[in-house]
Amino acid sequence: MEHALPVTWRRPEPAAARGAEPAAAAADADDARAARRAEEAALVRAAQAGDRAAFGRLYERYARVVHGLLLARVRAASAEDLVQDVFVQALQRLADLRDPQAFPGWLAAIARRRALDHHRRERPLDELPGDVPATPDGAEEAARVLSLLRTLPAAYRETLVLRLVEGLSGPEIAERTGLTEGSVRVNLHRGVRLLRERLGVEERG
Amino acid sequence: MNDDYLWTGRGEPDPDVARLERALGRYAHAAAPPDLERLARAAAAAEAARPRGAAGWLARAFGGASRRPALAWAAACALLVTVAAVTREAARPSAPAWTVARLEGAPRAGGARLAGAGRLAVGEWLETDAASRARLEVGTIGTVTLEPGSRLRLVRAAEDDHRLALERGAIEAFIVAPPRRFAVETPSALAVDLGCAYRLEVDRGGGALVRVLSGWVSFEGRGREAFVPAGASCRTWPGRGPGIPWVEEADAAFVAALAALDEAADAAARRGALRAALERSRPADALSLWHLLARFEGEERAAVYARLAALAPPPAGVTREAVLRGERAALDAWWNALGYGDVEWWRLWQGDPPA
Repeated sequence: MEHALPVTWRRPEPAAARGAEPAAAAADADDARAARRAEEAALVRAAQAGDRAAFGRLYERYARVVHGLLLARVRAASAEDLVQDVFVQALQRLADLRDPQAFPGWLAAIARRRALDHHRRERPLDELPGDVPATPDGAEEAARVLSLLRTLPAAYRETLVLRLVEGLSGPEIAERTGLTEGSVRVNLHRGVRLLRERLGVEERG
Repeated sequence: MNDDYLWTGRGEPDPDVARLERALGRYAHAAAPPDLERLARAAAAAEAARPRGAAGWLARAFGGASRRPALAWAAACALLVTVAAVTREAARPSAPAWTVARLEGAPRAGGARLAGAGRLAVGEWLETDAASRARLEVGTIGTVTLEPGSRLRLVRAAEDDHRLALERGAIEAFIVAPPRRFAVETPSALAVDLGCAYRLEVDRGGGALVRVLSGWVSFEGRGREAFVPAGASCRTWPGRGPGIPWVEEADAAFVAALAALDEAADAAARRGALRAALERSRPADALSLWHLLARFEGEERAAVYARLAALAPPPAGVTREAVLRGERAALDAWWNALGYGDVEWWRLWQGDPPA
């Protein structure tokens, strides 16, 4: 049966989310996005056919996303290890993925599930300064901020980790998680505001 | 706040965002080339160890893994969590109280101030003021975080029936269990977990809002039912029960039209609100339109059918006449075509798991 709306993992981009862009720039951005999606779909199909190098490129493109989704839920020390687990599971299940364009959301779902399994066995989540990779200073401050970030609702938490920890831009987060740009914008804005409130930072005009 | 910098990461840095980036950047993924050989070996080993038998039967029962991979995946997950739950049930005695822990401030459990961790017994209240938060372990199947300014009662704590009542405030629930094992009563509807994570808020007037982060929630009350998948939200209204769910990318005017429809005082107002909702609907709103089919009859249902059919054509075999008659099989088939999971998947789990 042909599904009328291929929305299981990725829903159509709403026009409203792109409304603020000038028409020509929006058209260019749409073209670029479409080209990247097509290229990525080709990589997924190649990986499904057994092309290991193609899977390697998907790994390189998505490792930061997977790590960010994990870090939003598990300790930093565990997140690095679990990245490998997620890609092992993805490689094992890749043949089951029917729509190559659904890969971002599909991989994100695997990462969330893996974090959940891990989280249920290992608590509490509070980050210890010693978990932070060795740096000269600021480890305690970093642990405090990350712990507070993890108290945010899941949608905000994930988006903020991808932006503030992994350094992805809003459009990159949307493309690589299957969320719409509108959702990412909302999550970033509200998430930062909540985080600042919890950190006791005064809102600047 | 400099929204451009937050959105693009380029341009004039916002001082607070830059400070957060500096603090958190040390946690970033340590990029290293993947060891593809090792990944491939691990995947092969995992595949070899993958359970078959019952999982394969379940996948076949839903139409075969090759044709319906998402459904087979969901069914296999459901089977796994069921097996886990049954194993736990066999291994542990029933718990008359759940563990609760203070996260911030001074929450109260059972009328007493909670300093660290404690227990919440059936019938007792967990309360937070404006500066406190608490986390409740839902038996062995998940956690509920109680946000500031909230009041929550433990109603039932059986192994197969975990139930809370949220009088006011907000919770974030994270549950891993077969559907319908966990439910939250609100003054206007019952939120039934179908295997998911979600946020639920109850306002002072008794209205509620659920936002589903993963999986599904069923909102039930006053003879109405709303199925809310990940990425969608739904309100309930005192005296009326659940409203119409909407997806997060829905246009604000469309969501406002849905609210007006739920709040309409008479038939004329309802018709007007329906007309406005249909005019503003887009393909992403198919979830809402599908629910509207069940809320209207006659000409209004025909109008909903026409709009939904234009935005998300019904699958082969689903006729206009069958939909207008409200035939369940036709509505189910159309739901399945919308891509939110197979209706039979969660219906199967309403009763006891199959032997």
